Amino acid sequence: MTSSWFQDPTLLAAMLGALLPFVSFVLIIVFTRPYPKLSAAISVASISVSVVCAIFLLSSHWHLEQPIQYAGKWLISGEMYIPFGFLLDELSLLMLTIVAVISFLVQVYSLGYMAGDPGFARYYAFQSLFAWAMMTMSIAPTMLQFYIFWELVGLASYLLIGFYYEKFSASEAGKKAFVMTRAGDIAFFLGLLLVLLNFGNLNVLDMNSVDVTARMSPGLITLSALLVFGGVIGKSAQFPLITWLPDAMEGPTPVSALLHSATMVAAGVYMFARIFPFYSKSASAMAVFLAIGTITMLLASTMAIVTRDIKQVWAYSTVSQLGFMVMGLAAGSYFAGVFHLTTHAGFKALLFLCSGVLIHEYETNDMFEIGKHGGRGLKIPMVCMTLAAAALSGIPFLSGYFSKEAIMGALANLHNPIWLVGGLLGAFLTAYYSFRLIFIILFPSKIEEVHHTEHGGHSAGHGHDAHHHAGLYWVMAWPLIILATVTVVLGFFQAPLENFLLGHHGVAEGHGGGHHAWLPWVAVGLAVSGVGLAWLEFGRKGASQVGFVERIEPVRTLFAERWYMDHFYRLFLDYVIYGIFSNLFTRNDRRVIDGGIDGICRATVGGGWVLSFLQSGMLQYNLMVMFAVLALVALYFFF
Amino acid sequence: MNSLYTYLFIAALLFSLGIFGVFQRRSLIGMLIAIELMLNAASINFMAFNRFLAPDPIVGQIYTLFIMGIAAAEAAIALSIIVAVFRRLRSINIERAQELRG
Repeated sequence: MTSSWFQDPTLLAAMLGALLPFVSFVLIIVFTRPYPKLSAAISVASISVSVVCAIFLLSSHWHLEQPIQYAGKWLISGEMYIPFGFLLDELSLLMLTIVAVISFLVQVYSLGYMAGDPGFARYYAFQSLFAWAMMTMSIAPTMLQFYIFWELVGLASYLLIGFYYEKFSASEAGKKAFVMTRAGDIAFFLGLLLVLLNFGNLNVLDMNSVDVTARMSPGLITLSALLVFGGVIGKSAQFPLITWLPDAMEGPTPVSALLHSATMVAAGVYMFARIFPFYSKSASAMAVFLAIGTITMLLASTMAIVTRDIKQVWAYSTVSQLGFMVMGLAAGSYFAGVFHLTTHAGFKALLFLCSGVLIHEYETNDMFEIGKHGGRGLKIPMVCMTLAAAALSGIPFLSGYFSKEAIMGALANLHNPIWLVGGLLGAFLTAYYSFRLIFIILFPSKIEEVHHTEHGGHSAGHGHDAHHHAGLYWVMAWPLIILATVTVVLGFFQAPLENFLLGHHGVAEGHGGGHHAWLPWVAVGLAVSGVGLAWLEFGRKGASQVGFVERIEPVRTLFAERWYMDHFYRLFLDYVIYGIFSNLFTRNDRRVIDGGIDGICRATVGGGWVLSFLQSGMLQYNLMVMFAVLALVALYFFF
Repeated sequence: MNSLYTYLFIAALLFSLGIFGVFQRRSLIGMLIAIELMLNAASINFMAFNRFLAPDPIVGQIYTLFIMGIAAAEAAIALSIIVAVFRRLRSINIERAQELRG
């Protein structure tokens, strides 16, 4: 392998693509931090190479016979060795391409968005770290390597969420993201240990093979699947651990775009898909996942209905779309989940990048403010955002429509109709909250057209170099246009993608039931009625701009307070963690550990004090004792 | 009279005197002299065994020469220690040197 790695274009491309961002991260951190432009150039150049490599890999392996695996021994301990390498199969190639493309677009966009920021070089270093961790994770051949880079992804997102670390709320949000995902990761790690102990191997391909059922009992499989799924819950912000993701909005907007589309949160769903055959060996675990996905999806949608913060709406919608993906996967349709992951990566990145342009322009996150100041004046972002919101809502012939239909189809195949009802309700809410935002910005109740003169100081600050400003605007606009194209076109690639993903090894598809001809009509009808409701309340002339939920105060508060989940965590922390565990451990620390050490010290001092009476200080007494002992020893040995 | 036991007896007597002197004398110089006595007792033993039991190789005599050399060196070191003690305590009485008493 080592002798021929430069002759094998596949391996060369994989190594280049995966490692270059790391090289650029090290270069920026060590050498070029004082030079922002150079740092950005290094980072963008390396991610461009990664994109080229990823696309080359994807296109050259479009007709993949069997997974390609490269592995070198990394750690050897007894009989167990830990390989380190690359696994290239359909899923990882697809994910690699998504990650590389989105990272590339976000980095280009950030050239405009972050221009002039004092932490510009640092920002690009973290972006490179993020891209490296995520890409190496996508092509990891073993779950251990997967886990290592999974944590690195967590680290990178912690650094980026808390990027404005001098702001208290930002550093708090970074910490919250780190700690809450860690709670899930503990379960993930325990699950991996369970598999390792009982199955003896963490190789992805082996875990997905049928050997697992032969070597592990069904109960054990369920338990380890549930534990490993804890990682998904943490990373993808599923039901009990939702609340870190909306807070993660404290980071710069391009970071949110990256975090929400292709990297951090997608990692969870990707992990689900990665060892999907392993999960699907346990029907009861899959039922739990389905329930978690549904609850997440509905809860997050309700939260999105009432918030005024433009980024928060998209954050909640990410959570609910992740819920959709988990539902699709848990319903047994591997393709539906992965397809939705792919399309969602495109349009969610687009949504965030568009919001970024608006936020950058008007320096507020409040959608009513943006609307009032004439947000619709910015043509490209508004058109792109409307497109993306339509895709998110599942309006026909945009990418989101196709993937959502795939998931609905999978849900309709289940015996229990409650999941389908939940999914359809979620689709309705999605359309409603997306277009609520769009209409608020597009058709504000009163427009202050004079925003440019009114914001005199602001535009003077920004517009001192009009040409430069326009250049930055186009740097930010191009990624939007590319993503919008992807959003429009991607849906028509459903059939080739399905062939590609399911091509030969035929992951068990739940195509038990027949084709539900009525389903697309119902789903589209619900989406359109969601848009219509939003139009009635926010869009039409003289609309009250008050949502139906906001009329009922307690419900609005409940949704706005995120179903009091943060309060619950706060109480849980205060009473259970601090009140009981911390208290006990503090007491243990003070009494047992400190007390024990102090006791030993005191005993030593006291013993020394007692024994010191033996030392009379008189030389001759000591001599006499020595002599007496020697004489006795002599007597003992000679007689 | 000219037998091994005579010499051994004399050596034992000298050694006992030396031990007694080390224990009894309170002056450091006195203790040093007593130690010299014990060394000499050992020398006498070596000479006597050499003379009566293994006459041919003169190892015992060589040992005695070594002991004399060591005794000289030891006396030099001991005297310098005694001088140092005297400088510090203005006395060479062993009872004054009790600063390390517990």
